[in-house]
Amino acid sequence: MARKSKITPKNSAAEQAEADSVLSRRTLFLGAGGLVMFGALGARLYDLQVRKAENYIALSENNRFNYNILLPSRGRILDRNSEPLAVNQPNYRVVLIPERSQDIENVLRHVGEVIELEPKSLKRIHQDIKNSPRFVPITIQDNMDWKTFAALNMRMHDLPGIIPEVAEGRAYPNGGIFAHTLGYIGRAGDEDIAQDKDPLLRQPTFRVGKTGVESAVEKRLRGASGKLKVEVNAVGRIVREWPDSKDAATPGEDVYLTLDAQLQKFAADQFGDDSGGVSVMDCVTGELRTLLSMPSFDGNLFVNGLTQADMDRMNSDPKRPQFNKVIGGGYPPASTFKMVVMLAALESGLIDPRRPVFCVGRMRLGNRLFHCWKRQGHGRMTMRDGLKHSCDTYFYEISQVIGINRIAEMARRLGLGENHGVGIAGEKSGIVPDEAWKKARLGSGWRMGDTLNASIGQGFVLATPLQLSVMAARLANAQFALKPSLIIGNGIPSFDKLDIDPAHLAFVREAMHAVCEEPGGTAYRYDSLKLGGIEMAGKTGTGQVRGISTSERASGVRKNNVVPWELRDHSIFVGFAPYDKPRFAVGTIVEHGGSGAGRAADITRNVLSEALRRDGMGPMTLKEAAAL
Amino acid sequence: MGGLLPIDRSGLSLRAKLYELNWLLPVLIAVTGAIGVVMIFAATDGVWTHGAAQHAIRIGVAGVIMLGIALIDIKVWYTLSYPAYFGALALLIGVELIGVNVNGSQRWLDLGVMRIQPSEVMKLAIVMALARYYHDLARWRISHISGLIGALLLIAIPMALILRQPDLGTTLLLGATGVAIVFLAGVSWRVIGFASLLMAVGLPLFVQFGLKEYQRDRIWTFLDPSRDPSGASYHITQSKIALGSGGVSGKGFMNGTQRQGDYVPENRTDFIFTVIGEEFGLIGSLMTIAIYIAVISLSIYLAMKCKSTYAKLLILGLITTFTLYIFINLGMVMGLMPVVGVPLPLISYGGTVVMAVMAGFGLILSAHLHRNSELPRTRL
Repeated sequence: MARKSKITPKNSAAEQAEADSVLSRRTLFLGAGGLVMFGALGARLYDLQVRKAENYIALSENNRFNYNILLPSRGRILDRNSEPLAVNQPNYRVVLIPERSQDIENVLRHVGEVIELEPKSLKRIHQDIKNSPRFVPITIQDNMDWKTFAALNMRMHDLPGIIPEVAEGRAYPNGGIFAHTLGYIGRAGDEDIAQDKDPLLRQPTFRVGKTGVESAVEKRLRGASGKLKVEVNAVGRIVREWPDSKDAATPGEDVYLTLDAQLQKFAADQFGDDSGGVSVMDCVTGELRTLLSMPSFDGNLFVNGLTQADMDRMNSDPKRPQFNKVIGGGYPPASTFKMVVMLAALESGLIDPRRPVFCVGRMRLGNRLFHCWKRQGHGRMTMRDGLKHSCDTYFYEISQVIGINRIAEMARRLGLGENHGVGIAGEKSGIVPDEAWKKARLGSGWRMGDTLNASIGQGFVLATPLQLSVMAARLANAQFALKPSLIIGNGIPSFDKLDIDPAHLAFVREAMHAVCEEPGGTAYRYDSLKLGGIEMAGKTGTGQVRGISTSERASGVRKNNVVPWELRDHSIFVGFAPYDKPRFAVGTIVEHGGSGAGRAADITRNVLSEALRRDGMGPMTLKEAAAL
Repeated sequence: MGGLLPIDRSGLSLRAKLYELNWLLPVLIAVTGAIGVVMIFAATDGVWTHGAAQHAIRIGVAGVIMLGIALIDIKVWYTLSYPAYFGALALLIGVELIGVNVNGSQRWLDLGVMRIQPSEVMKLAIVMALARYYHDLARWRISHISGLIGALLLIAIPMALILRQPDLGTTLLLGATGVAIVFLAGVSWRVIGFASLLMAVGLPLFVQFGLKEYQRDRIWTFLDPSRDPSGASYHITQSKIALGSGGVSGKGFMNGTQRQGDYVPENRTDFIFTVIGEEFGLIGSLMTIAIYIAVISLSIYLAMKCKSTYAKLLILGLITTFTLYIFINLGMVMGLMPVVGVPLPLISYGGTVVMAVMAGFGLILSAHLHRNSELPRTRL
């Protein structure tokens, strides 16, 4: 403050003048700076609104419009008579679009007040949210009933991001009986997405075929996605749709199967609670009219996601409902294999069919005893009688002469030991053993005992019900090596010549006819088909599941009804009808169903009869008569 | 009115004052406020009650207060300079202790009847205090350490308090205004050079240690927008799209698609310029800026007419704050600056800012109205 005294009014005035002048200059300086700043802002505006305007207009349009992927309707699966086997039905569901929701947890909690969300589904929802782009709708709940759906709709205003929609869901109107064949659909898995670049697969609400026909003809059923131009706001809510620029989805193609739904249902009714499979094949075209595995599961369960309880129940069921037995189950064909041995013998020319064999109920080979199913023996047996009565001893005898390789060769010609490629996954080729097979598979040499076992369709031989029906169809057709087909439109099949002497085939067919239509035949039943004189041909088989010990033989083999279910014999039957002009061939296996003359024969007879009736070959039903 | 106020010694009658008042400035302000009303109306999808009507009422009420302030003798404001500053400081400390927390920032003080934002009060008070300080300060001290320390304390203490709230935008605004006044007062270029050097060293340290995580984030995001496509840079990107897509003539009133789709958040408040740019294009944007330039130029002209250093520095300081608001807001909206949350004065929706800015213009008008007043100097 020392200088304070020096200030005089004069000094003060000069100082003020100097201060004013500095202030003016500095104001000018800052003002100029301000103008430069405004100039910069103006230049920036020019840059944005003139130079780059087009670019930003495009971005703004981009903002404004979105393309929503439109899911195609999945093609239906129909039977040969256009009866629907897999259809689409309205599915009321709610989805969540994560980017439209600020607070997903809160929204989910509110949703949880209306519909019960199990911890498991909540976990799935969170997983989906994490794995999908934020604009992709995540399914919260599928297949809701109308009441819940409506209740949730009422609360939409405080559930941002939640969108109720009516989508298409898959339904299988016949429940389980086509489940193995049709398969089911589900979310595309990582492998699916890796193999197939179709963007539809990334839509969490989209479903692809997982197994069966659904998977086999996925490409035909799927169709192509469409898109819809929509105007959206910043949070993705659709402000407006632009239907003019809608590019509709191309629905998937309907796929027809060769199956006859009514016949398949009839066959399923014949099975009741039994386990097994039946295949019905057209003896002219090879088309499968029925391809049934029992028991089955409800394919609809897989559509909605299986509960753990359902899964456990299926996995613990000894009848293995998930297993497609008709194409994937290998069973000893047992005596139904005898036609193979018979034809091999005839074609070899080594056996005179009229030369008899004497059956005493057993045969000794070295120090082993081979038993005929009839303990007291059949007595004198020619080839025809051997088949009619299913005399094991006869086949033991002739098989030693012709050898396993001729038998195996004939088995393969008749369609055994081969994967026929009906078009769905899970088909097995079974086993037709010969010397080379045993060497490769077991590393040991072929023994005569193996031939004897094979001659009655036991031992190493395994066949599926489908293969048995193919065998029966080839025997019946006599000209072509028919192949089974399931999906119509997979190309017209061409068949190789069967190349077996028609006289020999006629001989075998006649013997099979005797089995069913002559008193004394193992499957004889008066008026077997109940179709006014239409006759059938066939062969029983009783597939042994357990070894029978010497002591048990001594004390009497236990009857099937006193041993546990899983130790009982498999009941097997192959057949075709009509005998004189074959239309349909059938292969039936009833797991642990006892004697082939019992369950399997009954089922086959009824199914053949129904197939012919439905084909218009039998007498009219009362209903059809009334309709005229 | 002069007679009613014992301390009004200007000797002008109310009628003379109303005649003498520079009416061009209130008219320009009213025009700017009207632009605000129209744009808020658009930003709220044409619903009057969602802001436009409130804004109109606020401009009106604040206009009356502005005129009231204008008519009061500058000597009153001159006398109140330091009390106002220390009062504002007390309020800032009050916020620190008992403030209301909104969105993670403690900026508001709840006084029962109303909530006030002490930082807004401080924006006016610091200009008053610095104007008064330099009005009194001997010239030789301006660049001397003894004079610099006083100014530094006056600026730094409120800055520190506001930064703690935290409110980076207002802190910088306050600092810049203070520096501008020091500069206008005539601090030597030597000091300016030295201070610049100090800043160059101090700024990185300040960013590292003085800022909150989210504030640092905003700066990084500004420097590299790809860091955060959905957060702050989303904001800038959408803002630029809105402006750019407006083109030269705009999409037309109420036709902005960016606005309709709510792509630009906060477009009623800080980002309202995007609505102007989108719907009225380059023409509308430049016209708005032109009106601001008119307001600023007129204010500078009014300052030059004043006799006292206090009045000059008061007007220039207040208009500097106003100008900085505009630069920061427009720079932010156009993607030239980080998103700092500064409104566009008189146009953005928001009561406190309207009130503070209009009070500032009241002081400007008062300073000009009483431009010939002799203000005593307490020699420092």
